[in-house]
Amino acid sequence: MTNESGFVRHGKNSFIATFGQSESDVLVNLAEQLVEILAERIDGQPTDPLEAMVGFTGHDSPPDDEVLLRLLPNAYADPVDSSEFRRYTESVLREKKRIHAMAIRSHLLNSENHQVALDQETAQAWLGAMNDIRLALGVRLGVDSQSHEQLELLAPDDPMRGVYAVYTWLGWLQGTLVDALLNDVEG
Amino acid sequence: MSTQEETKEKTEDLSSPLFYVDRPWITIVWDDPVNLMSYVTYVFITVFNYSKERAEELMLKVHTEGRAVVSSGRREEMERDVQRLHEYGLWATLQRDDQ
Repeated sequence: MTNESGFVRHGKNSFIATFGQSESDVLVNLAEQLVEILAERIDGQPTDPLEAMVGFTGHDSPPDDEVLLRLLPNAYADPVDSSEFRRYTESVLREKKRIHAMAIRSHLLNSENHQVALDQETAQAWLGAMNDIRLALGVRLGVDSQSHEQLELLAPDDPMRGVYAVYTWLGWLQGTLVDALLNDVEG
Repeated sequence: MSTQEETKEKTEDLSSPLFYVDRPWITIVWDDPVNLMSYVTYVFITVFNYSKERAEELMLKVHTEGRAVVSSGRREEMERDVQRLHEYGLWATLQRDDQ
């Protein structure tokens, strides 16, 4: 069984989706991978004794990894301003993204028959995490404004074809949740 | 009605260093090939409390022009906006308004 309607609004504050087993497995797996990628950045050691004392472990240089750089982007064009900002904010941003991904994972693992019912708040966590996963996949696939046609034409045995299929499916799923939420704004 | 002398004083104010310090900061969102258009609209509504029309207008500006100024104000406020936009996965930066 597969999910054909995505997220559907039920009443004022409920957004329900029912997934197939494999869809649920893929989502859980991707959420876990996202948590793992983010964890690669947690090892930063404070060099300032005062920062160490308050448990401060912020990085001040941007990630070398392209995926991490897209998930944790620079806030300023200026590298000095950017690293200063990163030092004080990156760990918070990383933790938010980790919590979002963990929400997808736990909702699905604790669901009955792979059905999840979100409210406005948990829907935001799902949206954020689905978007982060798509950003990560997008970097790996080399998605840019011109690449969609090439990606559509990937050979059946190209391993990227499966990645692109997941990327497209996740975009569709995210879109159904956005639409369900936006309907509320209109109404 | 102001006297000529008062007008002169105001003109001088505009070029003084104090005015430079007061120039606002802006938050810019950059176009990204991954983010869904509807999602970007939703984020502008949620983060800035903009109307759906205003949010859509800004989203389209990002999409067609490659970037749009989505908010302006004090530096600390813009840093908060950028941080929130990053939480949602939008590609945002802040800078002093150079207009």
